[in-house]
Amino acid sequence: MKEYNTIQRERECFFEIHNITAGYGKKEMIHNINFSLNSHTLTCLIGANGSGKTTLLKSIANQLSHQGTCSIEGESLEQKSVKELARDVSYIPQKTGISISMSVLDVVLMGYNARLKLLENPSKKQIQQACEVLSKIGLEKEIDTDYLNLSEGQKQLVILARMMIENTKILLLDEPDSALDVPNRFRMMSNIRHMVDTEEKAGILCLHDPMLALEFCDQLVLLKAGKCIGILYPKKDSIGVMEKAFCQVYGNVSLMECFDKEGKRHFSMIGI
Amino acid sequence: MEIVKRTKKIQYIIVIILILGVCFFLSLSAGKFPLHVPDLFRGDETALSVFWTLRFPRSCMAVIAGFGLGVVGIVYQTIFQNPLAAPDIIGVSAGACGGAAFGILFCAGGTVGVTLCAFAGSVIAVISALGLSMVVRGKSHLSIVLSGLAVQSLAQTVLMMLKLMADPEKELAAIEYWIMGSLNAITAKDIMFPIGVTAICMMILICLYRQIFLLSLHEDEATLLGVSVGILRLVILLLATLVVAAIVSVTGVIGFVGLVAPHCARLLLKNLCVETLVLSGLIGSVLLLVADILARTVAKSELPVSVFTSLIGVPFLVWLMVRKEKN
Repeated sequence: MKEYNTIQRERECFFEIHNITAGYGKKEMIHNINFSLNSHTLTCLIGANGSGKTTLLKSIANQLSHQGTCSIEGESLEQKSVKELARDVSYIPQKTGISISMSVLDVVLMGYNARLKLLENPSKKQIQQACEVLSKIGLEKEIDTDYLNLSEGQKQLVILARMMIENTKILLLDEPDSALDVPNRFRMMSNIRHMVDTEEKAGILCLHDPMLALEFCDQLVLLKAGKCIGILYPKKDSIGVMEKAFCQVYGNVSLMECFDKEGKRHFSMIGI
Repeated sequence: MEIVKRTKKIQYIIVIILILGVCFFLSLSAGKFPLHVPDLFRGDETALSVFWTLRFPRSCMAVIAGFGLGVVGIVYQTIFQNPLAAPDIIGVSAGACGGAAFGILFCAGGTVGVTLCAFAGSVIAVISALGLSMVVRGKSHLSIVLSGLAVQSLAQTVLMMLKLMADPEKELAAIEYWIMGSLNAITAKDIMFPIGVTAICMMILICLYRQIFLLSLHEDEATLLGVSVGILRLVILLLATLVVAAIVSVTGVIGFVGLVAPHCARLLLKNLCVETLVLSGLIGSVLLLVADILARTVAKSELPVSVFTSLIGVPFLVWLMVRKEKN
């Protein structure tokens, strides 16, 4: 009966993270994390350095052995084959491992791999599509450039383009904005937001900037020393509740509301 | 823009193929016995016999060995994410040397016996290195490198023991000469096996080029792009190493081709692509052909071919690097 209930509940959610515990060697880094995501939403993991954000992302991506399950539309990710997993989940690590000169276009085309056969090459249409995505993020001039010669920020945008090509239901992003300047940060976040809004997708990301998280995300999961200490909904929660929660993570901070010319609500935070 | 780039890549390949053609012709005519084209057409028996039993197989072997080592070099450098990685890294050459020494000491089969022993030696070395790396179950390619190192030093110890057992006048000299590597005395019979193995493995490797490039990423990243990293890496390394084993078991150790050819190809084409693989192979062929021509013409007696692969390869590499700096 209990099992049936679990299955039932998972069906209701687009993506559910259930009792995840994981660590490196004997050291437990995250403990019993639970939350769920609806489609068309973005979730941000908030926490200080070493609070287990990356560990959680890696566990969700099934790259770290863990207890507990992650399930997408009722199907457990742990039981999927490498290709099936890659068709459902895309992941941007903090630092990508491209260490050999490759053209930007070839890097983006890697995103098709999960949907190609072993010896199949991307079709002309797919190459065309990759070029379009590159021009969408403003890198159309760099198609033939060596990836290694790009700036760190441009590299992150290329990897985002690769993620757009992967076109998976779950997007995992580990600090995708760490090397971006302010305009590119907003550009990247609105690209991610657009992907999630227009298609049946959900995203989980780690950000260091809580303002960006409050601006673009629907749900904030607060992590402290590997435990989930609260979940915030910036669109619904009152500012007092959120300020209190942030204080638990960042120490003494003050959260303020401000409104732009069109009357839209934004947040600003300062440390005390 | 894409098309322009492509034409440029093809141009490089065509130029190298032309150079290869010229070198092949020179290689056919170089040697102690003077071969002239009219003699061959007239049906001069000695000339024809020299051509078919010595020159032609030897030149073919140089082309195929150079091509194999060049392509394998780039595969290794990509998979190990290290510009210095060479097939030796997982103990192929050391295994082949040990096998060859064993063959020279204990097999009565002459060159064929030695070749077989060398091939067996290198395959055993590689399989034990890869097997060991699976037992260790490290997450990265580093465990393969470490197991390779272990196997390599083990093979070297075996070689040393065999050398100690060898008769210093004949056998030890034979072992040493074999290790130095040479394309001397290669006949049509010898080259069938390495050519067959190289051709098949090369075709598969070149078809798998997209996967090879994906393996240059971190393991997590590659997995989430849909690559079964463990099994694919094993298969590709095994294929690449089979090529080297088949070549080295016939020629002995040939240094530097597998290192310098990929670098030349990458410096010429900049971004890694399937053309880089082909170009690297072709450059390897040219390098080995030229080195072999020099090895048999410079001095009165044959010199080891490795002497010339590095003598030609090093300045060429330096020139390319200087040119790259200037650009």
